[in-house]
Amino acid sequence: MHLTTKRLGVPFAAAVLGLASFGGAATAATHHAATKTYTIAYEGPLSGGNQQLGLNMAYSVQLAIQQANAGKTFGKLPFKLAYKAADDQGSATQSPTTAQSLIGDKSVIAVVGPAFSGATKAAEPLYHAAHLATVSPSATLPALADSGWNNFFRVVADDDAQGPADALYAAKKLHVKSVFAVDDASAYAVGLVDAFAKRAKQLGIKVTHQEAPGTTQCQAGNGNVQQYGALATDIVSSKANAVFYGGYYCDFALLAKAVRAAGFTGYLMSDDGSLDPHYVAQAGAAIADGTYLSCACTNLGNTPAAKAFSTGFRKLAGFPVGTYSAEAYDATNTVIAVLKKLGARATRPAVVAGLHKVIYTGLTKVVHFQPDGNIAGSSVYEYQVKGGKIVELGMVSKLVK
Amino acid sequence: MCFTQNFWSLLISGLADGFLYALIALGYTLVYGVLQLINFAHSEVFMSGGFAGYFVLQATLGSHTTSGWGSVGYVALGIAAGAAGGGVVAFLLERVAYRPLRRRKAPRLAFLISAIGASYFLYNIAGKEFGHNALEIPAPFTNLPWFSIFGAPVQAYYVVIAIAAISMLLLVDRVVSSTKLGKGIRAVAQDAETASLMGVNINRIISQTFVLGGLLGGAAGFLFGLNAGVVYTMGFTPALKAFTAAVLGGIGNVRGAMLGGLVLGIAENLPMGCVQTAWRDVIAYGILAIVLLFRPTGILGERLGRAA
Repeated sequence: MHLTTKRLGVPFAAAVLGLASFGGAATAATHHAATKTYTIAYEGPLSGGNQQLGLNMAYSVQLAIQQANAGKTFGKLPFKLAYKAADDQGSATQSPTTAQSLIGDKSVIAVVGPAFSGATKAAEPLYHAAHLATVSPSATLPALADSGWNNFFRVVADDDAQGPADALYAAKKLHVKSVFAVDDASAYAVGLVDAFAKRAKQLGIKVTHQEAPGTTQCQAGNGNVQQYGALATDIVSSKANAVFYGGYYCDFALLAKAVRAAGFTGYLMSDDGSLDPHYVAQAGAAIADGTYLSCACTNLGNTPAAKAFSTGFRKLAGFPVGTYSAEAYDATNTVIAVLKKLGARATRPAVVAGLHKVIYTGLTKVVHFQPDGNIAGSSVYEYQVKGGKIVELGMVSKLVK
Repeated sequence: MCFTQNFWSLLISGLADGFLYALIALGYTLVYGVLQLINFAHSEVFMSGGFAGYFVLQATLGSHTTSGWGSVGYVALGIAAGAAGGGVVAFLLERVAYRPLRRRKAPRLAFLISAIGASYFLYNIAGKEFGHNALEIPAPFTNLPWFSIFGAPVQAYYVVIAIAAISMLLLVDRVVSSTKLGKGIRAVAQDAETASLMGVNINRIISQTFVLGGLLGGAAGFLFGLNAGVVYTMGFTPALKAFTAAVLGGIGNVRGAMLGGLVLGIAENLPMGCVQTAWRDVIAYGILAIVLLFRPTGILGERLGRAA
């Protein structure tokens, strides 16, 4: 995940309430001595600067467990589930200690998390040695799947999925012949735009690639707002019929204004960093309308299951579902689906083996893992600004069919 | 080939950037003229102008949209509000961050630190109060190309900048060359002690010089915010560029600041037909270094006292 801290404002009251309720939840559901109890743990940041993101997921894990215990989601189960929260502050240095404490707790049968890529990288060797399955809702660093940890799974597409999906959408759906790709010189955007450009060329699109550092205006680099005037001239004269921007909403809004003022009439496209209502507010609805934005995340839509999840989450957490809430819910339910199949005979290695075979239809996608732990199928979603609102169009792989 | 390809488009955006730099650069150069000091808090004078324009327009017009002459009035009101905001902040800045030091005959380094402190104070307060996301000033004109010159599309925003900046630059040139205030400014710049013996109130002249620079910087802040939005970090790079422009033209020289602004704006834009955006500052500052090698005092290189 590559979210800047400013996008993760923590409503203080919600955070305090959240922490207060954790104590009670962790000790619940241990009374039924007759039936076996499995603990599903969550590892993520529950304090510190990225706390809100951690809480978005923690409550989802807790909710899925409560619902399963109540027989709402999987019918009557031959075991009880318990919830355990483990705070790693999103930090790679803290994560191994956190992991060790979960491994030491023999009732822990699987872990949802770790939430952050760095923390996952640091803790995974320990989890792997303990044969303890981890299912991350949000760790997107591509290399995590390359390390041979057979217990590592994630329900979110990695960073290498988004750029190529954007290229595919541009080629097959928008019939773009020539694209001008711009990155904001951040590590996130450079990788994303490189992956986009590579796939776009394979698909026969002519690619021009420029780097325009994020601006001080947007607190995103050392660039100057004025750079976009000349860049827009370059874009128009390149005769490209689409602009793909890798970076965040603030600079993308400035670029969008500049290219339209220079007479560019083609498509505007960007990534999940621009998937923010502030993009529309800053560029103005007239400029932003029609812009395509992509994300490995999805809106929940209006299915009864999605509504039940949103309502239940809000009731439990005291704040609405946020980024990666639904992914955490799916990750937990995938683990529960495996446990249900194993019944009272579940062991840590059996859960790992079960996850390699599972096919579970969640809220965000059908969860089915590749052998390396990555989610099968591309699950990048395309969005478009329509009438000043960001509307989800659907999964890229389905849209281009 | 690459130089001629988008020559007119790049020249136009270069001039637009240059006019903005020139307006801000005047604030540096005027203050330098009378105090031989760089006012490093000028970036926050610029920012204050942006916020003042935004809030005055919000308060008077809200979400009401304008057209025709109404739009001209809208921009004029914004510029006036921005100038007033910049002027007030510059005035206070001189009173709080400079005058007490001057009275105590503090070393020059103290002024520098005092200015940097004021700058941090102001922009952090703005970030705290107004948030870290840019506030949009709705533009009262089209964002699509308005007309073209030699095939180069011209946007309404550039026309607004050009008209506003040229009027203000001419006005300042007149003020400095032929008003009583201008005479005072030039007298203090030439020799403050002698000027005071001749009956010039140095404190008042210095204060008025800050306000004059603040009016221009604040107006520029609004013009900048009209396109990019206003946010607490908005002053950082534009002010650094304008400072560069002031040095390029000859610091302390009013016409030098104007010329330096335009030269820097054009130097930043014209080469962009040939190189990538990431090279922009490399080229612009390379030109600055070369100019200063041959003319260490800048292009026009004179002091405020003798200029104009």
